[in-house]
Amino acid sequence: MQRKLIRNLDYQFLLALLAILTMSVVVLYSASAAMNTDPYYYVKKHVMWVVLGLGAMLVTTLIDYNQIIRYGRYFYVLNLLILIAVLVPGIGYYSKGAQGWFKFGSYMLQPAEFSKIAMIIAFSQFLVTRQGKLERFRDLIPCFALFAAPVLLILKQPDLGTSLVFFAILFGMLFIGGARPALVVGILTTGILAVVGIIWAHFNLGLPLPLQEYQLMRLVVFLDPYNDGFGGRKWGYNVIQSMVAIGSGGWLGKGLTQGSQVQLNFLPEHHTDFIFSVVGEELGFVGAAGLLGLYLWLLYRAMRIASEAKDLQGTLLVMGSVSMIFFHIFVNVGMTISMMPITGIPLPLFSYGGSSMLANMIAMGLVLNVNLRRQKIVF
Amino acid sequence: MQAKVEVKKRITFILLAMAAILLALNMRLAWIQFVRGDEYQQQALRNRMREVPLEAKRGAILDRNGRELAVSVSAPSVGVFPAEVKKSRQEHEIAAQLAAILGLPEDQVLRNITRNESFWWVKRKVTFEQGAQIKSLRLPGVQVVEETQRFYPNQTLAAHVLGIAGIDNQGLEGLELYYDKLLRGTPGNLVIEKDARGRDIPHARQGYIPPEDGLSLVLTIDETIQYIAERELDLLMQGPSSPKGATVIVMDPKTGDILALANRPTFDPNNFRNFPVANRRNIAVSDNYEPGSTFKIITAAAALEEGVVGLNERFYDPGYIKVGKETIKCWRTGRPHGSQSFVEAVQNSCNPVFVTVGLRMEDRRKGSFYDYIEGFGFGKVTGIDINGEAKGLLRPRDKLKQINLATISIGQGVAVTPIQLITAISAVANGGQLFQPRLVREVRDHNGQVVQRIDPAPVRQVVSKDTARQVSEILEMVVSRGTGTRAYIPGYRVGGKTGTAQKVEGGKYVAGKYVASFAGYAPVNDPRLAILVVVDEPQGIYYGGTVAAPIFKRILEDSLRYLGVPAQYNSEVKPDRDNNRVKEVLVPDVSQQAVVKAQAVIKASGLSPVVQGIGTVVADQIPKPGVRVQMGTQILLYAKEGQPSGEVVVPDLTGWRTREVATIMEALGLKMSSDGTGEAWEQDPVPGTVVKVGTTVRVLFGDGAMAEAISP
Repeated sequence: MQRKLIRNLDYQFLLALLAILTMSVVVLYSASAAMNTDPYYYVKKHVMWVVLGLGAMLVTTLIDYNQIIRYGRYFYVLNLLILIAVLVPGIGYYSKGAQGWFKFGSYMLQPAEFSKIAMIIAFSQFLVTRQGKLERFRDLIPCFALFAAPVLLILKQPDLGTSLVFFAILFGMLFIGGARPALVVGILTTGILAVVGIIWAHFNLGLPLPLQEYQLMRLVVFLDPYNDGFGGRKWGYNVIQSMVAIGSGGWLGKGLTQGSQVQLNFLPEHHTDFIFSVVGEELGFVGAAGLLGLYLWLLYRAMRIASEAKDLQGTLLVMGSVSMIFFHIFVNVGMTISMMPITGIPLPLFSYGGSSMLANMIAMGLVLNVNLRRQKIVF
Repeated sequence: MQAKVEVKKRITFILLAMAAILLALNMRLAWIQFVRGDEYQQQALRNRMREVPLEAKRGAILDRNGRELAVSVSAPSVGVFPAEVKKSRQEHEIAAQLAAILGLPEDQVLRNITRNESFWWVKRKVTFEQGAQIKSLRLPGVQVVEETQRFYPNQTLAAHVLGIAGIDNQGLEGLELYYDKLLRGTPGNLVIEKDARGRDIPHARQGYIPPEDGLSLVLTIDETIQYIAERELDLLMQGPSSPKGATVIVMDPKTGDILALANRPTFDPNNFRNFPVANRRNIAVSDNYEPGSTFKIITAAAALEEGVVGLNERFYDPGYIKVGKETIKCWRTGRPHGSQSFVEAVQNSCNPVFVTVGLRMEDRRKGSFYDYIEGFGFGKVTGIDINGEAKGLLRPRDKLKQINLATISIGQGVAVTPIQLITAISAVANGGQLFQPRLVREVRDHNGQVVQRIDPAPVRQVVSKDTARQVSEILEMVVSRGTGTRAYIPGYRVGGKTGTAQKVEGGKYVAGKYVASFAGYAPVNDPRLAILVVVDEPQGIYYGGTVAAPIFKRILEDSLRYLGVPAQYNSEVKPDRDNNRVKEVLVPDVSQQAVVKAQAVIKASGLSPVVQGIGTVVADQIPKPGVRVQMGTQILLYAKEGQPSGEVVVPDLTGWRTREVATIMEALGLKMSSDGTGEAWEQDPVPGTVVKVGTTVRVLFGDGAMAEAISP
């Protein structure tokens, strides 16, 4: 049985994944060597999370995904309970501006990261039961309701970036699950225009918004990082330093551990949210474009797996993961090159951070799971 | 199966969309890294390099004869590299020693030398002794850097011209500001590589670029004439008229060189913070005022040039003139001037005549009067090389009415700056050629080599040579027999014009507030000096001829003598006044003498000593020795602490009587052996010889005729 499964393995997918992980270890070493008296302090922990992630991925592949999806609704309820629990002071822990952590000794876990996986599983189960009933707007309302609960809980922390990922998952899976394309595109466009319009109205017409100043500034500052009311020294600072880092990298970069922006701490959060800027500065355009190429390769193989899945549940499971990973890449890289707002979501499979690494590796495990249990292609 | 195909289509669609978005990210990357790469590389470099600026020595400001008006003196500053201090583990000892020498609280010093900075000033511009002491201790991480400090040796002299420089030797006002770029030099650098938190990086690059000293300015100002002007303004301010303010400008009409420019109230640029900010206002270039009758020089020149009036044309002054519905009175309404020629009308400063000729010009050719006014430079800045110049107020041509032209003819309803007026009047003096006024004639490097010579800048010929000569001769008569007789100097051909204007505040004339002025030049046939004196709100008598003319006269007279301009007598113009020739004396050399002794010598020589500063010895004197001045002139003695030299300079005793010579000799501590009676005509040692106190000087006396024959 196992041997039969292995024959189905998409080696290219695995290769792309391992390539990305290897590159992440190397870049993270360069980014973090100067941050601690032990230059290997962060990279050791990162490697540990990568290894744990590989383990989690392997475990995820062992159980047939159809079995996993059968428990979708339990995952969903458990997820909500956990997201409620983390909001309770004493149980949850406040760090980096959000009530979004559980603390285990010196380790901190971010349940919102895992919540995305739970949602992908639960929504796969839900969508399969709704086949042929996704034609009208009215039909989509239950789907929105399903997502609304975790999104609102995560917004409460507050973690705007992660809650946005849920929209990517929702629309990606709805589209694959058979919702009318015009409807999906229409809702998306309306939503984006509405957000842009509301923010525009806030700045130009004085429309009040239930947002803190810092939240708002982080959303709009990418449009002109120097125009943050402090000459680019406050809200625009990160973006400006990131652009300087990437821009000064040139073709081949300054070499690992040689980037002055990174090594001299001008670039904040360079081992987590701004790790892509390190790639840009130290490995140049070749490194940065190469990494994006690796991601595209990984996603392409995943999408092949999705299209060869033996059932719709499998396809949905993979495409949910693909949507999630891609959205992370787009928003994170877009942030470092001033194309997207600052939302503070990490570069998947690359940034330093245990929860994110584990959750993404579980998603990779789901993809592999579907891959291994695909049908033989019948011509 | 149909569903399966649809799903694949949608997956393909998503794949393409994602690829497109990734391509967009790549394009943005390329834009940042290639198109804007250089810019970001520069910024990354700037991020990491911190510079400790080392200031350059600011260039000196010298008068036209090379005498120092502003200099930079060396002042040591004490700074530390905290990283080195901390590495030595002696921060407490270092702090204690620095605190003791610099007189600072120890905890404050400790905090400063252990700051999280690459470099920090502990104290800037300390005394020379403190600097040397700290240097000799060779404390780890402590650096004594030679900085410079601005010093104005003559205190308030020419303060408004020189301006001020700040703690970082940056020009803030006056020439210090206008020529800041030249004076400042290029600062050097101590370059230190730092990280985002300002921490030093181990083995970081460090560099030292030495500063390049600033250039020196040689002014058109003459220290002695400036001193004379300042002296007269001081006397005026302390005198009975005690005005609100005053301005004097002395110009060389042939070049536009400003020889002196002084304002009251004034300030000492060495410690300008002790003076009200208002004192720093350079009235001479920044303030508009109504020139009154001095402006009639312009009217007369324009009218003669335009040919609307003849010198001997007769006018009748009933004491007023009607222009439209308005009536303009003559200043002497009670006793009208009656019948007079144009020349006499100028002497009398008769308003109705000037109104008449002003309006005639307009009748002859519309706009002609204004052409001349603008030709003389009014309504525009003169372009003098100093900041803050005002441009006066000239009613726009399209809003000009008959009555406006009438009042402008007599200097009312028009506002000018003192610098504009003296520049215009200099043009009249200079055969009608207008020059741009200037303050700087040369730029030198720190070795004294000339790097730039600034030539006089002629602007235009405003009126013909003939017209200018005619106006000059009329102005000479104003002084010799008209309203300006108080400016008359026997032996010199002086031309000038008085002015008295009621002040305008909020668009209305204010009763009891006047601006008295006098503008003129000499010698009329070959003008060397043009002088404008403006007195703001004099108390009591407010006529320009009474308040301003005597100041004009004294400045002119002392300056002409200082310049060695020979006296002459104009055969045509005989002085009306009694010309008691005042006896002239040579200023004796009393520098390095005890102050008490110097005072005695000055007094014995028939001059009046004024001591400035505190001390026992004379450091310097103004006017300088050897200058021939009128008896009774004030001699300024700068005192300083120190020992008298024990040597004296033998003065020129020629022309003194035995008794007077004895007084001088006694005051100087010299012995005298005399021969003959009358006035001294020969002496041994000769004047100027440096001798020890107690030396005997042999003096031969004879009668006046003999002395005259020997020293012409």
